[in-house]
Amino acid sequence: MTAITEAAVTQRKGAGGWRWSGRIFLLLLLGFTVMPMIWMFITSLKTGFAAMQYPPQWWPSEPTLENYWRLIDPSGSVGRDFVQYFLNSVWVSTLTTILAVVVAVPAAYAFSRFRFPGRTFLFFAVLLRNMFPAVVFLVPLFILMKALGLVNTHGSLILTYLTFGLPLAIWLLKGFYDNIPVQLEQAARIDGATRFQAFFLIVMPLSTPGIIATSIYSFIGAWNEYIYAYTFLTRHDQMTLPVGIQRFFSENATDWPGLMAATFMMSIPVVVLFLVLQRYFVRALTEGAVKH
Amino acid sequence: MSTVQGQAIFRDVPEPKRVGLRQKVWNSRFDYLYVAPAIIVMLIVIGYPIYYTIELSFFNTPASLALSAKQFNGLDNYVTILTSPIFWKVTWQTVVWTVVSTFFAFMIGLGAALALHREFAGRGVLRAILLIPWVVSAVAASYVWKWLYHSDFGAISAMLTQVGLVDKPINFIDNTSTSLYALIVVNVWKEFSFAMIMLMAGLQTVPDTLLRAAQVDGASPWQRFWHVTFPHLRGVSMVTLLLLAVQNFNSFIIPWIMTGGGPAGSSDIWITHIYQLAFGRQRWGVASAYAVILFIVMMVLGYFYVRALTKGDDARAAT
Repeated sequence: MTAITEAAVTQRKGAGGWRWSGRIFLLLLLGFTVMPMIWMFITSLKTGFAAMQYPPQWWPSEPTLENYWRLIDPSGSVGRDFVQYFLNSVWVSTLTTILAVVVAVPAAYAFSRFRFPGRTFLFFAVLLRNMFPAVVFLVPLFILMKALGLVNTHGSLILTYLTFGLPLAIWLLKGFYDNIPVQLEQAARIDGATRFQAFFLIVMPLSTPGIIATSIYSFIGAWNEYIYAYTFLTRHDQMTLPVGIQRFFSENATDWPGLMAATFMMSIPVVVLFLVLQRYFVRALTEGAVKH
Repeated sequence: MSTVQGQAIFRDVPEPKRVGLRQKVWNSRFDYLYVAPAIIVMLIVIGYPIYYTIELSFFNTPASLALSAKQFNGLDNYVTILTSPIFWKVTWQTVVWTVVSTFFAFMIGLGAALALHREFAGRGVLRAILLIPWVVSAVAASYVWKWLYHSDFGAISAMLTQVGLVDKPINFIDNTSTSLYALIVVNVWKEFSFAMIMLMAGLQTVPDTLLRAAQVDGASPWQRFWHVTFPHLRGVSMVTLLLLAVQNFNSFIIPWIMTGGGPAGSSDIWITHIYQLAFGRQRWGVASAYAVILFIVMMVLGYFYVRALTKGDDARAAT
């Protein structure tokens, strides 16, 4: 009896030790995660002079919002460019998202529900795209865009963003459709609905969370994309944020506080989007990989 | 009704046993309508470039990219690559980059997932914060870390100096012996949360009753993890490791922005190298041949990737 209690006590002690090491680990990890973000923000509040000091001012002696003001002030050239980049990013990301989802919804549905010859092959082909880096496609797409006269246009970006947006959207959405019981459509069909009606009236409303999640993924993917934009765009008025901010600050000596303010502003939309819609985001990603 | 043979919905309708492929395709013609738009877009933006890359890899194309002047040169581009010492250096660095990044991202992600599995106050907030690096753009991350690593005003050097670990600022990324590892830290920072989120979802599939039973039987926490939790995580771990490896192998932004592959090529990996060859030195043929080799490597990895991802797909098709 005593032996059992003793065993239980030592065991609980052991578990406590594990829990504490877990907490310490999480604390260290939290520090590692937020340290760069905090330093980005603190630096963005400094003047150029204050940033160039060693050892650094851990908190700026005269914090200023001037760097942010400069980015959004339309009367200065920096502000004009930045606002333009920002709007370009919004435009390109939104259009990419809409196109990817509209094309992916029927395809994902078909891959989930129908068994047609070539289905497996086509689905593998879709999945395989995720394996390849943009660079494999870059040279030929660059030639194609030149031939089509799309270099330096947003059309080139939207078209190429579908190379990664579409396969991802199809895969994510298929995971959602797989989890909607087929019986619902069968019932609708028995009640006299056509195939398309069963799809639009029954399946579509149920897959709304999936469509939201897929849209966020496409949007964030397009918002953060760098390599195509970096290669296809040379004109300032067409650039998206990831490329634009680079052009901005590395011309002479790097203006680190300005750069940090710009990266901060660039990160806000995706972080806010993510935090608000986190639930969908996490579910979509893990839906396909974890089988319940 | 005979036209809906391809639908799972009408699985209960008896299907004629042996139908020719042509008949099957004809019967499924409406199914193809659903996938047609996706397939057409994919053919343009994926099929065509792959074909074209393979073609270019056998040609010598002038720097101006004047395609009419390109000359067939057989396997010359491939020979150039495989006999170049730079190829092997870059390949080794790519392997180090991929393996080390994947390992640490996975292990940190696993630790975080396990530590976050238990309910406690602030767990949701903590998880959200830990996920932020994965959402922000790699461009932003690269600039911030470049600033943290700065050789004159970098915060990391300053912290280490103030704690007394070093006596003068360290040069992390302008240093041939540390640049690759300094970049790996950034990469791990960027992607450990991906492993974390996948493994957290995986942990939810571990039956609580089994863990409790093991506890009653006197299994230590470590035994419980190793014999109960871990076997349940095997599937999701495979997918996660594979996705991380692919993603790392294909990295571009972090090395490109932070060091451009330098100094002296010490942080150059495949993708940055190919980019430099193509758009820096206009050696289109060699760059395309590199892309083809990469393509082949990825096909092998892709085989496992597709197998891991579609496992259970056919089981589900039967329901």
